[in-house]
Amino acid sequence: MTDEQYVVVRNDEEQYSIWPAGRTLPAGWHDAGFGGAKQECLDHIETVWTDMRPLSLRQGG
Amino acid sequence: MSDRPSLTGPTVVDMILERARAVPDAIAVAQWGEEITYAELVSRAALLASRLRALGVGPETRVGVCLERRPALVVAVLGVLLSGGCFVPLDPAGPRLRLLDMAADAGLDVVVCDPAGAEAVSEAMGDAAPRRLAVPDGTEQPDADPDGVPFACPARPDNLAYALYTSGSTGRPKGVLNTHRNLLGFVTGWVEISGAHAGTRALGITSLGFDPIVIDLFVPLVVGATIYLAGDADRADPARLRRFIAEHRTTWGFITPAVLSLLDPAALPEWRMVMCGGEAIPPALIDRWGTPGRTLLNTYGPTETTVAVVSGALTTPQPAPVPIGHPTPGHRCYVVDERLQPVEPGAEGELLIGGPGVSRGYLDRPGLTAASFIPDPFSGEPGARLYRTGDMVRYAEDGRLVYLGRRDGQVKVHGQRIELGEIAAVFEEHPRVTQAAVVAVPHPGGGVELVAFLTPEDAPDDVGHAASRLTAAMLPARVLRLTELPINASGKLDRARLRALAAADRPAGDAAEGTTTTERALAAIWRRLGVGADFFAGGGDSITAMRLVASVRDELGLDVTVDDVFTGRTLPEIAARFDKATRRTEPELTLGNPPTLAPPQRRLWFLDQLAPDSAPYNIALAQRLHGPLDRRALRAALRSVAERHDVLRWRIRQTAGVPYAVCEPPSDVDLPVVDLSGYAPAERDARLRTLLAAGAAAPLDLATATPWRAWLYALGPDEHVLALTLHHAVFDGWSRDTLYTDLAAAYAALVEDRATDLPPLRASYADYAVWRADRDLRDGAADLVWWTEHLRDAPTVLDLPRDRPRPAEQTYRGAEARLALPAETGAAVRALAADLGATPAGVLLAGLGRLLHRLTGSADNVIGAVVADRRVAAFDDLVGFFIDMVPLRLRSDDQADFATQVRLATRELMDVAAHPAAPLERVVEKLGIARDPSHAPLTQVMFNVLNLTEPRLDLPGLRGEEIEVDKPGSPFDLTVYVTERGDGFEVEFLYNPDLFDAARIDAMLADYANVVGALAANPAVPAGSVALPERLSPEAAPGAMRVTEAAAPLPPVGAGTAATEALIATIWREVLERDGFGPDDNFFDIGGNSLAIAAVHARLRTWLGRDLRMVDLFRHPNIRTLAAHLDAQADDTGGSTEAVNPEIARAASRAEARRNRNRRPRRASSTTGQENDHE
Repeated sequence: MTDEQYVVVRNDEEQYSIWPAGRTLPAGWHDAGFGGAKQECLDHIETVWTDMRPLSLRQGG
Repeated sequence: MSDRPSLTGPTVVDMILERARAVPDAIAVAQWGEEITYAELVSRAALLASRLRALGVGPETRVGVCLERRPALVVAVLGVLLSGGCFVPLDPAGPRLRLLDMAADAGLDVVVCDPAGAEAVSEAMGDAAPRRLAVPDGTEQPDADPDGVPFACPARPDNLAYALYTSGSTGRPKGVLNTHRNLLGFVTGWVEISGAHAGTRALGITSLGFDPIVIDLFVPLVVGATIYLAGDADRADPARLRRFIAEHRTTWGFITPAVLSLLDPAALPEWRMVMCGGEAIPPALIDRWGTPGRTLLNTYGPTETTVAVVSGALTTPQPAPVPIGHPTPGHRCYVVDERLQPVEPGAEGELLIGGPGVSRGYLDRPGLTAASFIPDPFSGEPGARLYRTGDMVRYAEDGRLVYLGRRDGQVKVHGQRIELGEIAAVFEEHPRVTQAAVVAVPHPGGGVELVAFLTPEDAPDDVGHAASRLTAAMLPARVLRLTELPINASGKLDRARLRALAAADRPAGDAAEGTTTTERALAAIWRRLGVGADFFAGGGDSITAMRLVASVRDELGLDVTVDDVFTGRTLPEIAARFDKATRRTEPELTLGNPPTLAPPQRRLWFLDQLAPDSAPYNIALAQRLHGPLDRRALRAALRSVAERHDVLRWRIRQTAGVPYAVCEPPSDVDLPVVDLSGYAPAERDARLRTLLAAGAAAPLDLATATPWRAWLYALGPDEHVLALTLHHAVFDGWSRDTLYTDLAAAYAALVEDRATDLPPLRASYADYAVWRADRDLRDGAADLVWWTEHLRDAPTVLDLPRDRPRPAEQTYRGAEARLALPAETGAAVRALAADLGATPAGVLLAGLGRLLHRLTGSADNVIGAVVADRRVAAFDDLVGFFIDMVPLRLRSDDQADFATQVRLATRELMDVAAHPAAPLERVVEKLGIARDPSHAPLTQVMFNVLNLTEPRLDLPGLRGEEIEVDKPGSPFDLTVYVTERGDGFEVEFLYNPDLFDAARIDAMLADYANVVGALAANPAVPAGSVALPERLSPEAAPGAMRVTEAAAPLPPVGAGTAATEALIATIWREVLERDGFGPDDNFFDIGGNSLAIAAVHARLRTWLGRDLRMVDLFRHPNIRTLAAHLDAQADDTGGSTEAVNPEIARAASRAEARRNRNRRPRRASSTTGQENDHE
């Protein structure tokens, strides 16, 4: 819909989301190294976020 | 908070397990008579969990749950959670392809099912169906350790608890994953917000797939409250729903506005916490429900944030639109613009939600999850996420949020969030559809309706192919075809144009005017609801059907059901069905009710508990059948009678002393054949009589076996006797003719190899019980006042002169004697009755009053009579117990003439029949009559006039002939049966030979005949002046007018230990729900009644772990003597002789601890409320 640019972000539980490019990342979120239009970012997340359990849970069991 | 259960725990499941340890006997789930205690819930769930784990289920495994709405549904849900797994609701009545889609999407390997669920799953998935696992019933032994808790829930807080499917824009539903942390956070918070506590009577009407189900199920269970789970039929019909709520006296529950608007707040005064949400609440609804004394709590929240995250009490007046409330504790609400920046205070924006309810995301939809769950820039909590609701809101000046609509293509139909895109995508899957669009337009009947537009113009115009993928709420009301979809200036789909097209096309006029009266009246309602020619194709859905039915009941006074609408579909068809409906009498009759006990059945059940070894309420029938008999056909015909009359398949079970009915499926009837043909006729007849009497007197166990039995005695090749013994609780005199008629019809059909020609039954016994409960609820208070006035100052014991002292406990033994009234006496009775416009029964009753006066010296006596409660035509052809026993007051006046006394007796018979809504039990209670186990309360003499025609079982090719069977016992001291035989009358006395000798009874029979004969011949002079023949029955035998000492003498007062007294006091408090009585107070004086005694009995047995006669609770009606009795009994049975019996001391301290934990918050909290279950 818009051409706004986003970055793919990830928190410490390895949960993914997207965030408007250039805006300060909220605490506890990190740039996952991928940017683009919204749908491109979401498509990227489809390929990388393969285990949707939070990290602490994956590690615990 | 020491008076509430601990509201922490790793998971909600652990909290429920803790409740089950604390209050094992409390009822967790109930539906009409069916109840599951906490102990049973947990033990059955644990058994299911162990089976699931054996199949490899554990944390993160998704397990389907596909059951009808019965209490076992809760067992299934808890069982999945207890295994560590994640439950996925599947609706057994839902569209099959949607079920298939969901099962595939969730990757289900196992589905917990009932038979309906198993059928749905295999229908939807065939060979590919996942493994189906049944819910363990209550009889299977748990594999648990003796403490009843086999293992804790292995799930960790971040493991999944459940997945709920919501509408998805791509045409595929999406599963929202909620964790135990989400569930625990919501449930503990909601306990506070909704004020739930152990005494809450929670309503469960939400469908399992809709997120407020968490309110319905888990909030009550973590506080030890009871869920009253409404079944599908009770949810689908407004009258039934009202009754369900009223009958179960629910105090607390969630409901959608559409359904709430169909209920009348005045009819449901006990429902004090009404939680409402799912769609906007109209101000008019708040005017009706947000009144003082009741809390109407708005709830708002998407499934993605668990349940409700915004709530607030609504009182009238409210601005429109109605604010949805404030964020619940722990939740954060932000209103943002398209760039996710906060808007100015009061400005419109999208609502973002953060906090413990934010769910994990969408199952296997990483992209969609990432788009909807976004980083939280506001709270400063590292790594936190916010859910984008897509809902447009603003803050009102008072700080409450106001809902303004959806940001995207979603709409809400009856509380269900629906993606229009999903519906369009389903239509586009059809090969002949090029493009599809769906719009929502306001519906004249309220809410919105969906209209689908398809291209090209020859696209199919029916919705059949979509129906298998879409829920009822998602199915468009209309489908319109266009050559192409309209496009607006910016090149997008012109939704405004589509909405205008949809509104213009509305087929409101199609409903037509109708030709019959019903059709015209119905058409007016139809138009008001905005429905088209075909109810469902024309915009009707299940809620509209409920509205239609409610309107027709109110405005046309017809007893119609939602089923009539569903099966009729078109206006003329539905009107035709409505025309066949019975005109509604008050109270209305509803059909299809689950097994429900009627109050007289409860009374008989109770008497059965009181005297388990006797059978005074057995009814024995026997027919001699002359001619060639097809035994197989007879056996099959008996089965078919039990199929037709389900009450013959009922069992009356109990939970904690509270009886309830269940219905067993039809099964073959056991018909033992006893061959007597080898005996000489005299011996054969003697043997037959003995066998018939034995069959009549054998107790029927209402809890575990069929309430009736049959035998066939072969007397010769073409001569048989069919004997039936039925418990009065499922049968009465009227039922006998029905039974014979239906049995003969079934037999004839079987031997002639054709279908029976019996018309279908118009109701069931349960429908009567429900109808009666309504009637008693409506008229009970007024009738009770009538009865207490009527019986004011009446004597409560009628002691006829007898030969032996009254046994301390009534023995129910029976013997019979009979006398035909002389022909001239019979003629005089008829003549007098005819003169006075009375019935012979009135004459004979007045004569009985004079006889009792003569025998006892008292001019005022109370006796019992029976009144048939078959007041609705639909009950005419039912087998069942439709009899009320009522007290009759007979006053005999020496100065008044007999004609006057006949008029009074006739009036008395009519009056008592006109006040049926206060059952005997309540009258006895209200009059404060002391219970005495030596005789029946209030009435010891019964009067019963039988004017039934000679019953005959007419099987084709055979001739039936009724045989008298010796009565199995005497429920009263004396029952006077009067039977019309031809022109004359026969009087039969059924009496207890432990009280009376046969000679005295014969003399009393003669005295009765003499009194009636003399008075009927001299009706116009003062009765006291009529010369009577000499009295034949003697005065009482010396010393006979007392009660014998009990076999076990009463123990000395004060002999009971303090521990025993404390245990009894605790149980009384639980059962009577009151405090403030002392050890010498009589149970029946402080609010106890027979059914409460049954509850005390059940609890005492459980706590003491040994059997206990219920009759002893009557003999020892206060705490002090009962404690002494229990202690003495414990000593006798080899219990400890120490001052404090350890068995009782342990039971008492457990009971006390339980009581303290259960104590309601408003009561003072106690310092002894610690856990001491495991001493």
